[in-house]
Amino acid sequence: MSELAIRRGAAPALAIEGLTYAYPHASGRALEDVSLEVAPGEFVLLAGRSASGKSTLLKAACGLVPHFHGGEVDGEVRVADLDALVAGPGELAAAVGYLAQDPETQVVSTTVAAEIELSLEMRGDAPAARARAVEEVALALAIPHLLDRAVDTLSGGELQRVALAAALVTRPRLILLDEPTSQLDPVAGDELIWLLRRLNEEWGVAVLLAEHRLERCLAAADRVIAMEGGSVAFDGAAPELLAWADERHSPLGTPAARLFSLAGLTPLPVGVRDARQTLRGMGIGHPPHQASRRVPDPHPEEAVFEAKDLWVELDAGEGPRDVLRGIDLQLRPGERVALMGRNGAGKSTLLRTAAGLHKPVAGKLEVGSIALLTQNPSDYLVRERVGDELPGDAGTAALRAVGLEHTVDADPRDLSGGERQRLALAIALAGRMEGEQLPGVVALDEPTRGMDRVRKEELVALIRDLSASGALVADMATKSTCGAAVVVATHDVEFASEFAERVVLLGDGVVIADGPAAEILSGGWYFATEVARVLDLPGVVTPEQGAAVLRGESG
Amino acid sequence: MRSPFAYMPRRGPLQAASPGAAVAYLGAIAAIAFLYSSPLVLAAAGVAATAAGLLAGARTAVRAALKMGLSLALLIVVVNALVVSRGETVVARLGSWPWFGQVDVTLEAVVAGLSYGLRAAVAMVAFAVYSACVDPDRVLRALRPLAGRSALTATLVSRLVPVAAADAGRLRDAATLRGPGAAPVGKAPLARRLLAGSLDRAVDVAATLELRGYSLDAPRARNRRARSRYDRRFYAVAALLLIAATAGKLLGADAFHSYPAIEVGLDPSTLAVAAVTALSGLAPYRRRGVSSSSRIARRTRQSQASAGVARV
Repeated sequence: MSELAIRRGAAPALAIEGLTYAYPHASGRALEDVSLEVAPGEFVLLAGRSASGKSTLLKAACGLVPHFHGGEVDGEVRVADLDALVAGPGELAAAVGYLAQDPETQVVSTTVAAEIELSLEMRGDAPAARARAVEEVALALAIPHLLDRAVDTLSGGELQRVALAAALVTRPRLILLDEPTSQLDPVAGDELIWLLRRLNEEWGVAVLLAEHRLERCLAAADRVIAMEGGSVAFDGAAPELLAWADERHSPLGTPAARLFSLAGLTPLPVGVRDARQTLRGMGIGHPPHQASRRVPDPHPEEAVFEAKDLWVELDAGEGPRDVLRGIDLQLRPGERVALMGRNGAGKSTLLRTAAGLHKPVAGKLEVGSIALLTQNPSDYLVRERVGDELPGDAGTAALRAVGLEHTVDADPRDLSGGERQRLALAIALAGRMEGEQLPGVVALDEPTRGMDRVRKEELVALIRDLSASGALVADMATKSTCGAAVVVATHDVEFASEFAERVVLLGDGVVIADGPAAEILSGGWYFATEVARVLDLPGVVTPEQGAAVLRGESG
Repeated sequence: MRSPFAYMPRRGPLQAASPGAAVAYLGAIAAIAFLYSSPLVLAAAGVAATAAGLLAGARTAVRAALKMGLSLALLIVVVNALVVSRGETVVARLGSWPWFGQVDVTLEAVVAGLSYGLRAAVAMVAFAVYSACVDPDRVLRALRPLAGRSALTATLVSRLVPVAAADAGRLRDAATLRGPGAAPVGKAPLARRLLAGSLDRAVDVAATLELRGYSLDAPRARNRRARSRYDRRFYAVAALLLIAATAGKLLGADAFHSYPAIEVGLDPSTLAVAAVTALSGLAPYRRRGVSSSSRIARRTRQSQASAGVARV
């Protein structure tokens, strides 16, 4: 009998039976007849598109639904033998921990130690027991050095770990995580998943993890549950999910699975190691990595952005620090550039400096005209009618540039997430266009946070249109001359491989790599796509490119 | 960007002291500023508050508070000089102004304004040192058994203020980044947007508090008076300050009159109060080279101190 089967014999960490739920004043149901079980010590991945019910399901499992949010509920939710529809979140806290997407709103104390200790204090634990629990959870999550820090001096990754520690300090049987890696760079994201797997294996904590980037965590999962329209559409092992998604052309596949599917290979792999083993078993090896040769610059036009030895100093409360240290960078019209690097590498600072929000302390910066969309598009939306945000001809042209001219009379709050993002971009563009011609540089800062794959594909199409200034611009005669240089700061390597033709990698305020996307995204480990890590071939980063190579090799 | 007045954990006597001891000490310095009018004593209180902040490592907070406090003091001096015509020593006749009438600037009004301004500046520096050196979590923990609802409100506010400040910064940036062709953002829509965002944030923070068990009526560990080995020092200095201030008042110290002519008493009792007040700023001093114990033991002690366990 397998270990999992033995665990399944025990009382489930989470048991949901026929759960139906609607938020107050909502027209539809967020959850519809959901039934599932999570065994003690099981690692379950919760997949699904945006608004498919993943977050609501997690909130029901920790008692926030219905106790905190209200609404109409029917069915049964049991967490470690506690009735979650009767017990409130505070009572359930001993059995279940919850970690939401935004770590900023999950901390309520001033210092890390106090934050982690709070649940134990509320429970009435003795000070000595609290001190030991805090020490142990800090050691388990490798954050003892953070215990005396103020929470508002932590990076996003550190804050997410602290929030996880606060959720784990009561030693719950189940931990619920709602897209915990969405704001983390690839390194911090991978570290968090490994950490969860280790806690799952060593502490026996059951994990229910909602995540969009399946390639990051599928290999760690014992089981996958896919949600669609508030219901469970799939419940099974990871390889079965990939086959199910492939058969239905669902966006829930992974790049490695798409690579195999396009190449006509089976079984579909759940991770890089699995894919490599399968390829080796088929006698398809991969040659050692070789750097690709430089391709000529496809954009020989004059630069629309030029930074020479650019230095920017910022003070985040702990004294001034050089965030950008001698940046040299040029962007040309029509280029699509991904700006990548760890959290704190200087990506956002570079874009904000280009847009005039920070002043350089040294060096030269020449930018003709730039429209910057920051990380929170909703910050740009302050009125209740699209037309009121963007009046006049300039507004109409900007709306046309992002394909939203039909929404003039709509309330921005009624638009979809993707449309709101486009509207915010139009607000940044308005008045910076000459007729239908876009500004020299269009910059987007982390635009894919919390996005599912379908929305990312729509964004890729928009970026291509902006750089070519093609299909969305009514005046086709100007098409060839008005493409903007589009620069996108992102952590998402798969997204970067889809839209970018050039990648600039920043490390601690310095450009550490700058070259064609296919070269940069296939030449490393963290900043490499899943396909690049499977095949390790220079210049092969997307499933389509990889499948072409495999078809040629296997043929 | 982080507020210069935000609490920063450091290893110093003032930070290690219990909230009660720290409040008593800084409150005593501020109390001197409100009890006395003599510029000499007020300057001594300013020196004490500044020295306390610098010794506690709150250099940024002290600098920001001095900047704000002295600006406010200057404003008070100017306004007092313009609106008060009492005093025998006219230093400038500025003629007749609309609403003000005849404006004569007197030395006495300037000095009186300086006294008020110094008082405000001392209070601001003392509060800045409190804000940067006293852990709000420990203050709330101390308040919780006394006033649970107030402590909950204070917890929400103390978390939401920096979050709202960050949101306001982001909204300002977004307003700056709007294209020149987009509708300009007035203060009212921006404030509405900030308020709506803050309410959403408040809901998230409240949900987190629920998950941490804030609403539970569980038997909480007894929170007796929080103590550290520095508490006695701060309580003693606070008591000494208040005794010196009271005794000084009884002995006729603070003989300061602005009008009709300036009289600054420099009698021994005033000088003594000023000296004691200035020296009280050295209370957060810590000798270097104190041996360190293991981190786990230190954490346990800190936790016990923060939870209010009395040292045997």
